[in-house]
Amino acid sequence: MAENKSDLTFENVKIGDPLGPNEFHLSKDQVRAYAKTTGMWVPRFTDDEAARKEGLPGMITPGNMSLAILSKLVTDWIGASGAQLTRMGTTYRQPVMPDHTITLQGFVTDKNENNRTAEMDIWLENEDGERLVIGTATVHFPR
Amino acid sequence: MAVDYDPAIIGRVFETTDPLPVTPEMVKNFCSAIGESNPIHIDAEAAKKGPYGGITAPPSFAVTFRNGQHFFQHVPRYGKQGFDAGKDVEFVGPIRPGDAISLSSHVKEIYEKTGRTGSMVFVIVRSTLTNQKGEVVAHVDHRFMSRT
Repeated sequence: MAENKSDLTFENVKIGDPLGPNEFHLSKDQVRAYAKTTGMWVPRFTDDEAARKEGLPGMITPGNMSLAILSKLVTDWIGASGAQLTRMGTTYRQPVMPDHTITLQGFVTDKNENNRTAEMDIWLENEDGERLVIGTATVHFPR
Repeated sequence: MAVDYDPAIIGRVFETTDPLPVTPEMVKNFCSAIGESNPIHIDAEAAKKGPYGGITAPPSFAVTFRNGQHFFQHVPRYGKQGFDAGKDVEFVGPIRPGDAISLSSHVKEIYEKTGRTGSMVFVIVRSTLTNQKGEVVAHVDHRFMSRT
């Protein structure tokens, strides 16, 4: 992800262009830090034992945090190009368990010449390739 | 299959929250928690030269605001347990440290869906985020799912 994408322009975006993959270890402490700063400090996002009592396999990642790291996949792709993330839709299909390696990726699915927008599919998957969170995003390229 | 609800609730704003001040620390901690390192969100000097002339929160900061204190007094509840099934967000304008954001929320849609695991009811609540200047900064559609 260190690639400099500041030369990204509407003209050079192609359908099929990849976003990511961006693979990293999502730690429990990172999830707790998110829960703390966003006022979501509840047991299922912070504590394994308490989460199990709620019938979960262990503490889970807030859906909004998955949305946030997926939106970062898109804004990292945008870089300093001046394009803007204008819309994003997400579906939280299965719980995202911290202390696992997750991979964020996507690809450009469409371009609209009139609006100067690009559409993309994005998703978050676990080590088994299961897509736990899926979504779409729209990026606008101002003239 | 039809879900039972009062059609008058659709589209009617049920709550507008008091403006919540966005502090520099909130933006800083949010960036740190999601691993955001883009200077336009974390570095005041670099952000001055950026598109907004100062630090802005990452777009996804828009989903961190509560849509009210009285959600279930206004939003019908189905089944035993509810889940956050996902969100659809329109990012209209930047949120900056120093802004005060209020949310106006209404029920946009209620529908039932039958899948492999049984019947589910989706309640879509739309919150519009407005800053202290009266500018809309985002619309967030929250899909709340219950198994019936």
